[in-house]
Amino acid sequence: MTKHSIMFIDDEKIVGDMAKLSFEQDGYEVETFLDGESALERLQEKRFDVVVTDMKMKGIDGLEVLRTVKKLYPGIKVIMITAFANLDVAIEALRDDVHDFFPKPVKIKELKASVKRALGEA
Amino acid sequence: MQKFFFRKLKEVLGRDRAASDLAARFRAFQAVLDGNNRTLEAMTEMGEKLGGDYLFDVNYTKSAYVHLHTAISDSLRNFNLLTGHQYPQLGNTLTRIDGLVQRMLTSAEPLSALLLVFYPEITWDLAEEVGGKNYHLAEMANSLNLRVPEAFAITTAAFAAFLRHNGLEERLGGLVTADNADLAKLRAAILLGDFPDDFRASLAVALEKMRDRLGNGATLAVRSSAEEEDGDFSFAGQFETVLNVPCKVDEVLAAYKEVVASLFQVNAIAYQRQLGYELGKLKMAVGCVAMIEARASGVIYTVASGKDRGRMAISAAWGLGKGVVDGLIDADLYTVVKGEIPRLVERRIGNKAQMVVNRGKEGVEILETPVDRRQIACLKEAEVLDLARQAQAIEAHFKTPQDIEWAIDTTGRCYILQARALRVEELTEETAQSLKTAEPTGYPVLLRDQGVVVQRGATAGKVFLLQHLDELDKIPKGCVLVARHDSPLFVQAIPFLNAIITDIGASTSHMASICREFNIPTVVNTGQATVVLKHGQEITLQAGEDGAVVVYDGIVQSLLREERQTGAKLRELYEFRRQKYIMRYIAPLNLVNPLEQEFVPEKCKTVHDLVRFMHEKSVQALVASAERKGRGLGRFFGGQNALRRLALPIPVQLLVIDMGGGLCSGTGKKEVDFAQIASVPLRAVLAGMLSPGVWQSEGAALRGADLLSGMTRAADFAGGGDGLAGYNVALASKEYVNMSLRFGYHFNMLDCYCSDTPRNNHIYFRFVGGAAAITNRSRRISLMAQVLAEYGFALKAKGDLLVGRLSGLSREEIEKILSQIGRLIGYTRQLDARLDSDEAVATLSRRFLAGDYRLDL
Repeated sequence: MTKHSIMFIDDEKIVGDMAKLSFEQDGYEVETFLDGESALERLQEKRFDVVVTDMKMKGIDGLEVLRTVKKLYPGIKVIMITAFANLDVAIEALRDDVHDFFPKPVKIKELKASVKRALGEA
Repeated sequence: MQKFFFRKLKEVLGRDRAASDLAARFRAFQAVLDGNNRTLEAMTEMGEKLGGDYLFDVNYTKSAYVHLHTAISDSLRNFNLLTGHQYPQLGNTLTRIDGLVQRMLTSAEPLSALLLVFYPEITWDLAEEVGGKNYHLAEMANSLNLRVPEAFAITTAAFAAFLRHNGLEERLGGLVTADNADLAKLRAAILLGDFPDDFRASLAVALEKMRDRLGNGATLAVRSSAEEEDGDFSFAGQFETVLNVPCKVDEVLAAYKEVVASLFQVNAIAYQRQLGYELGKLKMAVGCVAMIEARASGVIYTVASGKDRGRMAISAAWGLGKGVVDGLIDADLYTVVKGEIPRLVERRIGNKAQMVVNRGKEGVEILETPVDRRQIACLKEAEVLDLARQAQAIEAHFKTPQDIEWAIDTTGRCYILQARALRVEELTEETAQSLKTAEPTGYPVLLRDQGVVVQRGATAGKVFLLQHLDELDKIPKGCVLVARHDSPLFVQAIPFLNAIITDIGASTSHMASICREFNIPTVVNTGQATVVLKHGQEITLQAGEDGAVVVYDGIVQSLLREERQTGAKLRELYEFRRQKYIMRYIAPLNLVNPLEQEFVPEKCKTVHDLVRFMHEKSVQALVASAERKGRGLGRFFGGQNALRRLALPIPVQLLVIDMGGGLCSGTGKKEVDFAQIASVPLRAVLAGMLSPGVWQSEGAALRGADLLSGMTRAADFAGGGDGLAGYNVALASKEYVNMSLRFGYHFNMLDCYCSDTPRNNHIYFRFVGGAAAITNRSRRISLMAQVLAEYGFALKAKGDLLVGRLSGLSREEIEKILSQIGRLIGYTRQLDARLDSDEAVATLSRRFLAGDYRLDL
């Protein structure tokens, strides 16, 4: 069985680092990115099953990542996490077919459950 | 006439101030409680979010800390109002804590500009300046009173000054891309480096001090002590140590440069990368530690193997420890079963063909051991056990298994040279993957989904059913503590416990914070753990993240294995550790027992300590001011219709001052009865005093003095010229009472807050006096103490003074205990004439607890 792959995008290194360790323990393949640009570039080379992105980032932000992914790779599920949870952003993300939306700090267990759902495993 | 008028006016105004002062103090008291609550809530929340179960970023930590800091500042401001700025040290402590946390949050430079610090001067807030290894060693001497060699630390501030002086700071920035050749150049530049004048000068002073203490021939070990060294990570063998350095400035400086340069060795850099360090950020302090003339030395692992945490292994060889550490010598191996009284259970004598000895300036040398000493044990049993006891203390203090280096000198004195965290084997990924969360079969379920999970986890052990707080020091290591209530006094046992389960308790209590800090699986408020679980029974507790609780009969190995692997690796992220370290200045509780001498502002090191200290002293301050203001206020309050005489069907005369909500509205002008008391705690204590059978007024019990003072003093308060002096007074609000009751020579003082928020609630009870012979008076104290201990009071008794404190219980529990105190007040009032033997004390206290108030023996 091939491993499922997850892409994490967050401009704070600690978030990606923690996510990588936690998800790798469960047998996922994980790559982390500190900005939207490099993440979208990487998507041109490699297909990921799930993208987990921070909302507020310099340059390409989470909403833009979401829209681009949905447009170019509609099969990839996107999960959004943000420290600045507000209703408008959430609604906008939902409209853009976000798979799930979490405020930070997010419980790792819940994020894992959401990823499983995104992969149709639960 | 005019003179008289002004005097009278002044008097009335003075009383006005006194009254409003008391009201203001009461408001301040409540504000302290409120601030403390918010602080504890913020602390709990941060502990949870930073604990490894959540993805968080630095913005979260910053905002959560601001929230916490605001709450504790509010608390402190009101505390200062309440106590009239009696404890200015607390403000300084909070400022220091804030400085340390801010430094963690912003990765700023250390606050202190100290270049050198002798070990006895190393305080809690200097941990970062002196580095992990120095800090741990100094801590063992300063906090645990263990013998460590004479030593001083050269700080990270000195390190920074040295780099700056040689223009090397910028080069550290380029380390990320440095190759091996760059590193070699950097090391060479360090070895050629020069020292600032003040660096040299303070070193010269320190070395002179060392020569004074140890003699001119003394030599030093110059060792690395990097930021986290011996903390979560050992950096074992990564950095240089220079042995046998004479106490001379140039020699020590040369050794210092060697040690500092080793920070940039290829392997050390690789190790830093592995631990997620941003290269060039790791700061190095250095320790200059007196060399010990070792007869024997070795290493202790406080956990002998991953499977058996109850045993420790002590290895020993002749001469210096290097032989053992480097694995050169077939050392003796002693196995000790840990416990209150450690036991030597196995002794394997090695064939110690060689030994490492100190050759002064020539360094160390490996010699052949004289044949007749090779197969002789290095340690006597008493020495093994002495080492074991020290190792247990160190493990308990640092809360994780330890790897300890020790030496015994030629005069037989034992020194601890180093202690660092011992990594105990963890499960491999394959075994972890194969274990799933299926419910184990074949183990009866004793408890399911009862109680509140304070700290999740799966653990097992034998039940220790705690009956009395004085059994705390009898609790064996590795057991599951089962108790009726939670208590911060458990802290002395918590590091050794596998789990705690209580009948009653809250997830925000002091104990709960401690359990989270120590990572001890804990469930409170199960209602019936002490009934269902039997002393000595082996059980497994599974406390889930989602609040699910299951207690199995027996040891369920599959659950325990699964627990060990989850969430283990996050510690290897530097940023994660750094954020988590902030909690070191917030969550640990050092001030546990308010009756100890250690309960002073100087001992506050964390936010939690501040909360605890302020709570305790606020109660005292309020009691003191209520006592003070209770006198002389009679007429003032009388004029405000706030003061009533309480009519009771027992010979107790009591005046009630209503501070708001203490009495039902629409009560009479002068007198009220029990039914009109609205104050929850006052009602509860009076209900106890009015219990049938408690108030025995017949026969010999009522003696002259009692009759005279207890019954007559409340007389006509409105006509008295001395205010309330000498009267029995209760200051009461809806949730609070402060009551003083005097019967002849007996004096009872009760201060109680009783609300729907358990954390705010407290009972403070004090009893003094008695006219009978001193032995009988002490017996009465002893009887009262036996009864109060039953309810978990922290007690202090001396002669005929008894002070008891209790806090954090629910409103219902407090009411129940107050009633019992009410009964006790009535019951013991006339007791000492009866207490002519210690057996009588035992008999009567047993009877009292069983609801039998007969005094005849």
